[in-house]
Amino acid sequence: MSGLKREGDHAHRLEALRGTTPQQPHDARAIAALAANPGCARRALMDGAGVDKDAAARHLGFPAPFGQSPFAITRGNVFEALVKADGCAELLRMLRELLGLTVAEVAYHDVENVGAHLRHAHTRTLIDRAARDGHDAGTLYDHPLLSLEIAGHTAYLEPDVVAFQLGGRFHIVEIKSFAVIDGQADPSAVAAAARQAAVYVLALRTLLEELGHDPLKVSHDVVLVCPENFANRPVASLVDVRRQLAVLRRQLTRMTSLDRLLEELPEDLTFDLRPDEDGRPTRPVAELGDALRRTTARYAPDCLSTCDMCFFCRDEARQEGASDLLGRQVRDELGGVASVTEALGLADGTRDPAEGQEEIARLLRNAERLRGECLA
Amino acid sequence: MSDRLDDLERRIDELRAGVRTAMRARDGAHARVLRAELRSAERAWDALVSGEQPAKEEPPRLVTVREQVHQGLRLLGAAAQPRLIVAVSTAFFGGTISSSRLTSLRRDEERSFRSLPFGRPYYLCAALTDRLSPARGLLTLSTWPLERRVVGPLSPRVDFLTCAIAVAEQKTHDERADRLLLRMARNIPGATDGTLSPPDPGRVAEAARAELRVHADRDTRDRAELAERAAAQLGDTARLFGAATLSTIKKENAT
Repeated sequence: MSGLKREGDHAHRLEALRGTTPQQPHDARAIAALAANPGCARRALMDGAGVDKDAAARHLGFPAPFGQSPFAITRGNVFEALVKADGCAELLRMLRELLGLTVAEVAYHDVENVGAHLRHAHTRTLIDRAARDGHDAGTLYDHPLLSLEIAGHTAYLEPDVVAFQLGGRFHIVEIKSFAVIDGQADPSAVAAAARQAAVYVLALRTLLEELGHDPLKVSHDVVLVCPENFANRPVASLVDVRRQLAVLRRQLTRMTSLDRLLEELPEDLTFDLRPDEDGRPTRPVAELGDALRRTTARYAPDCLSTCDMCFFCRDEARQEGASDLLGRQVRDELGGVASVTEALGLADGTRDPAEGQEEIARLLRNAERLRGECLA
Repeated sequence: MSDRLDDLERRIDELRAGVRTAMRARDGAHARVLRAELRSAERAWDALVSGEQPAKEEPPRLVTVREQVHQGLRLLGAAAQPRLIVAVSTAFFGGTISSSRLTSLRRDEERSFRSLPFGRPYYLCAALTDRLSPARGLLTLSTWPLERRVVGPLSPRVDFLTCAIAVAEQKTHDERADRLLLRMARNIPGATDGTLSPPDPGRVAEAARAELRVHADRDTRDRAELAERAAAQLGDTARLFGAATLSTIKKENAT
């Protein structure tokens, strides 16, 4: 009983955090970004409450250079159309080469045929039938629509591609337009694609579980399709997303247990933008900024490519001279030294190390001495 | 010479009738396109009758987008995506269309059919899904039997193989046709020798037929069943252009 009440309280607090601003639905990119910086309380709270981070950042005067460029989107769409052209002819070739798909397995279902609003229900039906009947049910499912519960709200996800069945297992196929050159691709792009695909794997596993099937029928290997070298010819490779899945799952459980974070906040705190009738935010900027600063962010330069709030947090980190600015690796090595001035003070000896800082202070002084010798 | 004139006169008559139908159907965009073609046809007729030779060796082809698509589809003999139709039209008929011009084609055809049913010898129409709704991005010809115009689960692959065979069996081969065939052959097991050289058309057709044999039985069965349903349940317009899905009905009622 008390558990129920706590849960209600919790939802209520999150609603209050969001205020009157309409809820921002999560998409796969946003969910994937959660896994990119799991230690950030500010992001966890804003996402948990469904705050429109883009609008908040814009209102604060720190609009993020976000969303893809229209050229990238067009390129992505063209490449996707190429892969899926003529009954997924290219995709079938790659799957036959990569996974040994048999010649007979070519059945193609376009989930979108039923019309947009029935897509989710139709995806469920098709996947259910495939999981039950095994071989006779079809191989490729185009335009499926999956759902995932995020902090009490349902997010709808479109695996931009196809979930297909091979030897009784489902694989997520992710089509991306960054090039694989000589067998190598940009590691950060691959990591982002893997995180995004992990979200789809998780959503599909949840769906199978709801339908009473074995969730492990969804393979943790996703098929990543990219253009090869400098041509537009697609090439497929398998990417293991087990690690991303684990991070994602942990992060999603954490989101539903935001209690601890919420308890530390004052009762009346809200990130409300107070939009007027046209949806323009009317809340004083300084007030919103103060409210956000009550939550701790964990800025890292990687945030610039994943989070709408990045410029706001970077500005904050700069003002504090925080060592976070220098990247995760430096921050971890400077464990216990929170700001850049502090680190410099320790290095040139103008500042005495506090308890527990002796080790790092010695290292910093050594580094300073070496630097002095080099420059001399 | 008089043959050309006869052709042109017939063409001009057709275009005039087309403009009139389009105006009646209040389809301004289509009418504008037809009028432009009518004017160029009349200019060509003037030039021919007065004995002036047009400046260029070969006058621009007087083939409408609609006609080019028709040619492409007739060659392919199966439901196809605009992208493939354009590729075929460019490779074999010196076509000038781009796929962006095909987007409104099906709607124009439907409008024309509704205002004057069976007024044209053929219509470019939709392929029908298992829900008898129009399949996204596929074009077919109204002259084909229903079995060829429905798509079951295996049909996209079967249609692709059928198209590949049709392309391979074309006798006239230039560079563009070779490229198209190579692109298709790459995705058929056993059709290429793994190099980038133009594939042997006979081998491509043979490989495609071999794969086709694997799918043929089930696909024919699926299609027959769908065609039967379509014939029993749909009226003339829906049989050609697909039954409306729930969401389109909602949209139409809203406006």
